[in-house]
Amino acid sequence: MAEQERRSRRRGQGELEAQVLSALREADGPATAGWVQERLDGDLAYTTVVTILSRLLDKGAVTRERAGRSFAWTPSSDEAGLAARKMRKVLDGESDREAVLASFLTALPPGDEALLRELLRQAEAERDT
Amino acid sequence: MGMFVLLPLVLPLTAWPVARLAEQRLHPRTATRLLTTVAAVMALASTLCLGLLMVVGTAQLPGNPLPDGWSDPEVRAAVPYDEIAGRLAIPGLLAVAVACGRTLWRHRQVRRRAHRALAGLPGTSVAVLPDEEPYAYALPGGARDRVVVTTALLDCLGPAERRALFAHERAHLATRHHRYLLAVQLAARANPFLRPLRTAVSYTTERWADEDAAHAVGDRRTVARAIGKAALHSRGAPAPTLAGLAAPGPVPRRVAALLGPAPAARSWPSLFTAVGLAAWAATAGAAISAMSSANSAVTMVLILHAATPL
Repeated sequence: MAEQERRSRRRGQGELEAQVLSALREADGPATAGWVQERLDGDLAYTTVVTILSRLLDKGAVTRERAGRSFAWTPSSDEAGLAARKMRKVLDGESDREAVLASFLTALPPGDEALLRELLRQAEAERDT
Repeated sequence: MGMFVLLPLVLPLTAWPVARLAEQRLHPRTATRLLTTVAAVMALASTLCLGLLMVVGTAQLPGNPLPDGWSDPEVRAAVPYDEIAGRLAIPGLLAVAVACGRTLWRHRQVRRRAHRALAGLPGTSVAVLPDEEPYAYALPGGARDRVVVTTALLDCLGPAERRALFAHERAHLATRHHRYLLAVQLAARANPFLRPLRTAVSYTTERWADEDAAHAVGDRRTVARAIGKAALHSRGAPAPTLAGLAAPGPVPRRVAALLGPAPAARSWPSLFTAVGLAAWAATAGAAISAMSSANSAVTMVLILHAATPL
């Protein structure tokens, strides 16, 4: 039960990050955490918004600059870019990823490259004749 | 019981010839199913026998919680080399349990984290990620099955080749290839002699998806070109295998197979061919493994029952 709750909360975090990022992307120029919070109709506590923004900063999805006593935040990627970064992290951390995710490609050892080019060249030649 | 309890530990060796031959001579669907079934049966039999040996080994340890009757000379006499085999079986079975547990845990972890990475995207069946590394994955489960593909990979393919790529990934999902892959991976952890089967199945599932994709797009050459182009573009990715050590790697073999004629969908090879002989040998090996382990288990239960005063 607790496990399930924890899992749904963690999945929620991914969605929250996407929500905050998309709100930030609607701003004209840098925006503050308070602005983002308002934009989300106050669904989230101010501290939560700041936490999520900091997490997005770690992931390289936003940048920030000091504006007076707080920070102004600017998005540096969209939701798809954020997903791509996260996915790369998952894959890079997994040396044996083929075992889990059936992939279209496996790494190509150098010797295979010439062989592959030759095969493709033959295929093209046969098609042209 | 005698030597029967040791047989399932070494019988996986009978599957080596078919692991080599099946990928070239059998239809990839047949090869995948045959090799996975053989691997699963052999792994279960081998683990069961390891468990029986461990009981004998544990009973010899001073201060063990097992009934005294279990270290009876009669029980020990039932196992050949009882002292060595029993002692080795304890760390052996523990290693198998830990390795299988880790594999399962990591499998779930990767799937969950990959789904979480996509959480902020619209729930379409294809997720296109802007990334300069070309890759594509079939991601099973979660709220739904998804195909993950990067813009870099799509950019290097033409329209027909993209269709081939999606057909390939959808074939992985539709025929639940991740289950075969997980099964052979667990089997390889349970008995290291089964590792060649794992390598073979990861190749045959790719071939299976290639053939299904060729069927879906109606042109084997298009699928071959898609694989070839994608592989050439992704060069520079770290290659963990030792290059040029032996036969060509899986990608050129897949392309060559697609440029050749479609494999015959005959379900079972004749005994009078090399691959047929190998397939029957592996099947017989699996059957003997299963029977020996069942025989050993029954014998062991009977002996232990007789030795335990109740």
